[in-house]
Amino acid sequence: MTEPMLALIAEELARIAADKGETLPAIGPDTQFLGGDLPIDSLDLATLLVVLEQRTGKDPFRAGFIQFTTVGELAALYRLDTAVP
Amino acid sequence: MTALPPPWIAPGVRLIEAGAVRGWADIAQRADAFEAEIRKGGPAVVHGDGVPTTVAALVAAERAGVELVLKRHAGSVAENATPVAVGGAAPGFAVLLETSGTTGVPKRVRHDFRRLCGRLRGTADPDARWLLTYEPVSFAGLQVILTALASGATLVSTPGATAADLVRAAVRHGVTHASGTPSFWRSFLLTLGAERPPLASITLGGEAADQPLLDRLASLFPTAKLRHIYASTEAGALFAVTDGRAGFPAAWLETGVDGVALRISDGVLEVNSPRAMLGYAGAEASSDVWLSTGDVVEVRGDRVLFAGRLDGRVNVGGIKVSPEAVEQVLLAVPGVQDALVQAAANPITGHILTASIVPAPGAEEAPLRAAIRDAAATLPPAARPRVLTLVERIPLGTAGKKKREGTA
Repeated sequence: MTEPMLALIAEELARIAADKGETLPAIGPDTQFLGGDLPIDSLDLATLLVVLEQRTGKDPFRAGFIQFTTVGELAALYRLDTAVP
Repeated sequence: MTALPPPWIAPGVRLIEAGAVRGWADIAQRADAFEAEIRKGGPAVVHGDGVPTTVAALVAAERAGVELVLKRHAGSVAENATPVAVGGAAPGFAVLLETSGTTGVPKRVRHDFRRLCGRLRGTADPDARWLLTYEPVSFAGLQVILTALASGATLVSTPGATAADLVRAAVRHGVTHASGTPSFWRSFLLTLGAERPPLASITLGGEAADQPLLDRLASLFPTAKLRHIYASTEAGALFAVTDGRAGFPAAWLETGVDGVALRISDGVLEVNSPRAMLGYAGAEASSDVWLSTGDVVEVRGDRVLFAGRLDGRVNVGGIKVSPEAVEQVLLAVPGVQDALVQAAANPITGHILTASIVPAPGAEEAPLRAAIRDAAATLPPAARPRVLTLVERIPLGTAGKKKREGTA
């Protein structure tokens, strides 16, 4: 399971939202990033990916864009990725 | 009594904005009222309004024979700013558009309206349903609006929309044609649920389109015509690439494309285009027919690929920002001894800015971060460094300059 990754995403999303003076609802694997569930925009999502790379040492997006819509789908990308040497 | 539409509007056009449907009769009514205001001496100005208002203002200003100013935000450009002329200074109806300045001062650019319309290759297509993803009063937005008007299509717009709003509108109204930046399309895909609009035509422009994005769009919308267009402010619309691959064919450096000759000089793409602007207002036409695009390119196999801007500006979510200009803002913050702003490649927004900060002796972290955040808040969202790292020193390159990496 990807529970630690879910927790890390929730933690960093909360930080990004707090910087904008927003608070987040409860986050689960089915929470959509940009579908209206969360008070974040594409720049916030871009920020999240930079921070996740710093925190995990992994970058599943090395080769470019990958489609995902939910927190669970993003977490799975990091689970499948191997660490950057 | 309703007058006939001007030649650049097909009578069957429909504008759907925020759910309300308007046809030529509604546009004409608004145009009549606006024209009366102008003739009484009122200002021919549109303030970042919705599509029906913008179209009515274009009709009214053309009829009244006055120049129309299309403003993004009230008072964002000095009233006495001298506009730059694009497309020559031919007499006739013109519109003044504001460029999207981020860290620089926005400028006004004058466009000859007839040339704007003449550039469109649209044919009558009354069944097409266009989605407007750009601001109506931007150059790209106006191109989409004029294309839809000329073809008698339906144009769907949602002012102030988020990506999620645009996806919902596209699904609800069965949008068939959409043009947007690669950053728009990435957000669109990240928001798309099980329901998909029946897209027949997908256009990307405004920044370099990457291969994974093109591949994803092609696989989700296999019957859609997929193309990315290349244009620059000085050189105008240059060419469209329709083979679904990033960059453009290297063979075009020999053959040219669509009347445009291309060459690479010191790693920078230069063009010789019949659609280039004729010169700045009041200046002599340049005798040098080759124009630098400022875009750094590299040839890889049979392809020419874009590798960033010569001036170091990067695209963040479809907006060009200058890391160096942002660095100057951070350096002015008390408690900052040195700063380096870098562009990191990003799968969502193309790039994103990050900052390394050397604190001044005695500066405490929490107040310093707060002060930097306050300073960054004066910048447009795309230009704000999203990740701040405190460091002991900034690494210097061999020439003694700060190393600004990762801008490709």
